[in-house]
Parts: sequence; C-alpha cells; structure tokens
Amino acid sequence: MIRWILAGILRDKTRSLFPFLVVMLGVALVVYSVGFMEGVFMGMIDTTANLDTGHLRFVNKPFYDEEHLNPMDRALAAQKETGKWLRENSDPKVQWSPRIRWGAIIDVPDEKGETRSQTPMIGMALDLLSSDSTEIERLQLKNAIVQGELPKGPKEILLGDQLAETLDVKPGQTVTLIGQTFDGGLATDNYKVVGLVRFGVSAMDKKMGLIDLANAQDTFYMEDTVTDWLGFFPSHVPYTDYRKVSSELQSRLAGFREAPPQGWAKDDFPIVLSILDQRNMENMESMFKLVKKIIVGVFILLMILVLWNASLLNGIHRYGELGLLLALGQTHKKIVWMLGLEAFFIGLLGSLSGCLIGGAVVYYMQEVGINMGDAFVQTGMMVNDVMRGRVTLEGFLLGIGPGLVASIFGSLIASVAIFNRSEANLFRELEAG
Amino acid sequence: MDTLVKIEKVVKVYRVGDEDFTALHDISLNIEAGAFMSFVGPSGSGKTTLLNLMGGLDKPTSGNIFFENINLKDLNRTDLAEYRRKNLGFIFQTYNLLPVYSVYENVLFPLLLDGEKESAVRQKVLDLVEKVGLSDQVNKKPAHLSGGQCQRVAIARALVKQPSLILADEPTANLDAENSYQVLELMRDLNRQLKAAFVFSTHDEKVTKYVNREIGLEDGRIIWDKKRDGNGVLE
Ligand SMILES: Nc1ncnc2c1ncn2[C@@H]1O[C@H](COP(=O)(O)OP(=O)(O)O)[C@@H](O)[C@H]1O
Ligand SMILES: [Mg+2]
Repeated sequence: MIRWILAGILRDKTRSLFPFLVVMLGVALVVYSVGFMEGVFMGMIDTTANLDTGHLRFVNKPFYDEEHLNPMDRALAAQKETGKWLRENSDPKVQWSPRIRWGAIIDVPDEKGETRSQTPMIGMALDLLSSDSTEIERLQLKNAIVQGELPKGPKEILLGDQLAETLDVKPGQTVTLIGQTFDGGLATDNYKVVGLVRFGVSAMDKKMGLIDLANAQDTFYMEDTVTDWLGFFPSHVPYTDYRKVSSELQSRLAGFREAPPQGWAKDDFPIVLSILDQRNMENMESMFKLVKKIIVGVFILLMILVLWNASLLNGIHRYGELGLLLALGQTHKKIVWMLGLEAFFIGLLGSLSGCLIGGAVVYYMQEVGINMGDAFVQTGMMVNDVMRGRVTLEGFLLGIGPGLVASIFGSLIASVAIFNRSEANLFRELEAG
Repeated sequence: MDTLVKIEKVVKVYRVGDEDFTALHDISLNIEAGAFMSFVGPSGSGKTTLLNLMGGLDKPTSGNIFFENINLKDLNRTDLAEYRRKNLGFIFQTYNLLPVYSVYENVLFPLLLDGEKESAVRQKVLDLVEKVGLSDQVNKKPAHLSGGQCQRVAIARALVKQPSLILADEPTANLDAENSYQVLELMRDLNRQLKAAFVFSTHDEKVTKYVNREIGLEDGRIIWDKKRDGNGVLE
C-alpha cells in the first residue's frame, strides 16, 4: 500500500507538486531563518566572549562584584597554578586565556610633552607576543586592524579606531596610560600606538585598547596575577552547552578553594560564570528563543492554511477516486488515513528538500558570510559586520517538524469534507465522470 | 437457483426542497445467484436508485433488501462498507479508473485495499487481465486505452475479488456498438465462468440480446419482468 501511495504521489504531479513546493519553501524559510538567527546570536555571543566575557569566565568574586571600577587589587594571583588547575579540571574542549581587564586614563602628549588630549578608556591585556598565542587568531586581529600593524615588541598598544580618532592619534605616536596598580598605587607607563583596530562593535571601538598581558603585568605591578580567565569553546559547541560545563566546573571549584594556591589572598573567592550569566545575555537568549518560536509558529500556521486549501482542491480533483474508494467498500476512516499517509510522505519529501535548500544557504553564510558593511556598526550591538549563519541540528528539526505537522494537519482539516461525504449519490457522482 | 438478493416492498422517497418525490414505488423481486439480468427503462425511471439500494450505498424509505438473508437495514455505515468490500463489484458508465495507475495496478487495487501482498496476488491479477483480453496493455495507463478497453479494465477490477454480485450502471452507454457487443460478450462469458451475478441498468437495446432476464421500469414501477425461456426467447 505504501508503494502504491508513493507511486501515486510521484506520478500525479497535480496532487503532489504544489503541496510539496509549499512545504519545501516553508521549511527552507524556517531552516534559513533559524540558521540565520543562530548565526547572528552566536556571532553576538562570540564577539562578546572574545572581547569581554569568554564563553566561560573564571573570576575572583570580589573583583567581579565591583568590576565596573576595575579594582586591580582584587585580581587573582598565582596565575600559573590557577591556569594549570583550570586546564586539568575543565572540559578538554575549553581553551583558557588569562586576561587583565584594566582601566586607565590615556594621555596623548604634543611635541613638547604637554597633554594634548586625554580620556578615560578601558582595555584588555592578553597574550599578543608569545609565538604560540591563540588570541590573535581568536580575535581575528589581523582582520580587525584598519591601520598600522600588530604589536611586535614590548609596550605597544592597539587602539579602537574611533577612540584614536577622538584622541587624534596615529600609529607611531606614544601615549601614556595612567592607572591603578595591584597594590592600589598609581601606575603610569608609556605605550607606542602601533595599530588601530575595528571590531565592528562601536561600544568597543570607541573606548577600547589592547596590550600584551606580560606588559600589563609589568605596568600594573601584577606579576603572576590576572583579573580574568576566559574559557573558549570551539565554534561547533552550541551555546546551550555552556551552562552545563560551567556548573560542572563550578562544583569542582569547591575543592580548589579548600586547598588554594599560596599566592591567593584570604578573601579571594573565584567563581565560574558562563556568558549567559553576564551582560544580560540570558534575557537576550530568552528573547531569541521566543522569536524562534514565533517564526516557526507563523510558518506552521501559514503552511497549514495553504495546505488545507490545497488538500481541499485535491479532494475535488480526486472526487471520483475518493468516491470509488467508498464504492469499493473503504470506510471513511480508512480513506482519511490514506490521505494522511499521502500527506505525510509529501510533507517528508518537502521537508527534506526544504532542509537541504535552507541548510545550503545557511551553510554558505556560516562558511563565507555576507558582509553587511557598516549597517550594524551604528547600532552599538555586539554584532559583527559579517552576517553569519549557523547550521544546527535544531534548525533542521525545527524545519522538518513543522513541515510534517502542517502537511498532515492541512490534509486532515480538509478531510472533514470527505468524512461527511455520503455514499448515497455515488453512482450519480461517478457517472458525471 | 438460490436467491441472492431479495427485494421486498421497497419504496424510495427523495425529498426535493419542500416536496417528496417517490423514485421507487413498492418494488418486490428476487435475484438469483449467478443471474445475468438488466433493468431497462427511460431516464429517470429509477434504475440507478435501485442499484444504489442494492449496493448498500443508500437506504430504502421503507421495505427491506436482503442479501443472502442479511437485511441491509440492520447494517450501519461501517458494516455496509464491509458488505460492499466482501460481496460486491461495481462497474460504472464512465469506468472510473485511476488515471495515474496502469491497467495492472487498477485491477490490483481492490486487493491492496484488502491488505493483500502484491507478490501473492500478482498471478491472479495477470490472469484476470488476460481474461478480459488486455495482456498487451497490462502496463499502459487508462489515457492510452480506448473506451472499450477501459471498460474491460473496470470489469476485471470489479471481478478481482470474486464477488457474488456485480452492479453495473449503464455499462455500455459510453461505448460504440462494436465495443458494446464485445464488452457484453465478455461479461456474459465471465458470468458463466465465475458464477458472479451481473445486474445492469441500461436503456441500451443491444443489452437485451445478452441477458437472461430483463425487468422494465417506468416511473419507479416494475412494468414487466421477462425471463429467457427454454428456446432462448425473453418472455
Ligand atoms: N438524490 C436525489 N434527490 C432527489 N431526487 C433524486 C435523487 N436521485 C434521483 N432522483 C430522482 O429519482 C428519479 C430516478 O432517478 P434514477 O434512479 O437516477 O433514474 P435512472 O437511473 O433510471 O435514470 C429521477 O426522477 C431523479 O430525478
Ligand atoms: Mg441512471
């Protein structure tokens, strides 16, 4: 019987082509939209993670509680020991980067050494100089440089391009950073601006500078001390896994706190956060989920409406055939079941094709990306210029499910008419041809 | 001969708008197993209505129809579907073949609906296709067949489950004389071979030559009932 139904679907294009196309298109759009949104959301997550929070963050609670003040004296010592513990105790997929989150006044002198311009700025110190550093690749710094080059030597700084514009500095000039040392004193140090970077995130590009971690430790008297350990997952790990890994690590951390490294202060109390615990990401996430649900819901509804109509037309187109089935002694229930099965197959074929098409577009966006230029830079959102998609299993499931549901549902609603069809006039109806 | 269908004081009233229209007045008759007979009469005389009632597609307003001692009145919609599936074959004026399926598949279809496996019934279907003379057309679609050939497919489909009663509403009405004769001859042969009763409705005089019994209908009443006598004359 199943072969019989499949043969009918494949041979009779009038009964199958239109619903097939509807399902295919609908599913392709769902898969595309979901993939696109996943891509945007993951892009947002990754940008925020790279420049700010990591996917996971290991941070001293006293620092975290006042982080808007950049309390360097609450940074966490024993960098080497801590790093070793993290690498040994967390999920092997996670890469850990020590960072120093610093704040300073940046002072640009004129030729005579007098202050020409000055502004508060924030910065991140990260490993820029060691040969095996993963940070340059992670932040795609080579792409982000709009002028100048990457730091190659000590006490060199990269500035956000908008910040440099405000301060009117160019690569080659020397600036002074005035900040706070680990023990609460005043830190001043000269840095040479070697390059200007743009991340496409205006909040960053307006305020941010990047220096090497070892240089920062020197400038701020923070030997073997960092403010943050940022953990990064490879991009194939979905953000939904972050929390789980984070809480696993959190539970092991208790043991580490019991026997802390010697360098830690008495009130040091490191904690593990996932990106979703920070920067309002959790709200973003639930909004993102809601929008996904709405999109899928709207598409299901639209598909059901269209397929319902298509099934009604199909019922008229095949009035004779269905009448014949009744005459041959098929119950109404069985006929509806057969039509449902037919719809299931059409829905399945349509959904799979739609997934292929939608998935191909998303895959292209994931691998190549579509450059949106400055369109997003102005919004201040943590979004990259390049829109990317993301192929996920969920995206496909969100496509296939609705395709099948809509197809079967549409056919079943239309079947009410068949259910109510009386046999009494079959002969006359079938005479009409 | 055993009685296959017993029609007892059947009245069929249709409600048309506010008025009742009596399509059949007090019809009583018996049909024997293996009969080969027709109802003749002008259009509107009630032939189709009578076949409808015998087919369990509609119910009489009053009176009873028995099929092998089962009163169709006692059957609900699902029982009636089963009654048709088990006992009846239908042949229509316009064939009603499924256009996307081949001759072979059209004949196979009722068996598939009964849950038969194709491999198990393949030979049976092919034999029947041969019996109706369409072996060369077995893989063709209905669109590539003549009207006569289509009606042969429909006959094979009606017979494939070996029903005891075939109801054929104006089976030759869409056929030219040549094809009508061939189809009638075929049905007569099959009636003799397979012992299925054939009941036609028709206003085609050509049918008269073939049937063993002819019942005249007019305005929903039987006006005569002729059986072929020992000399082969209808009386
Ligand atoms: N569903 C129906 N509703 C009302 N009148 C009907 C219906 N079916 C048949 N009739 C009427 O009953 C009479 C007999 O019809 P029918 O059995 O189709 O005649 P025949 O097949 O001999 O041409 C006709 O006058 C027809 O108009
Ligand atoms: Mg008629």
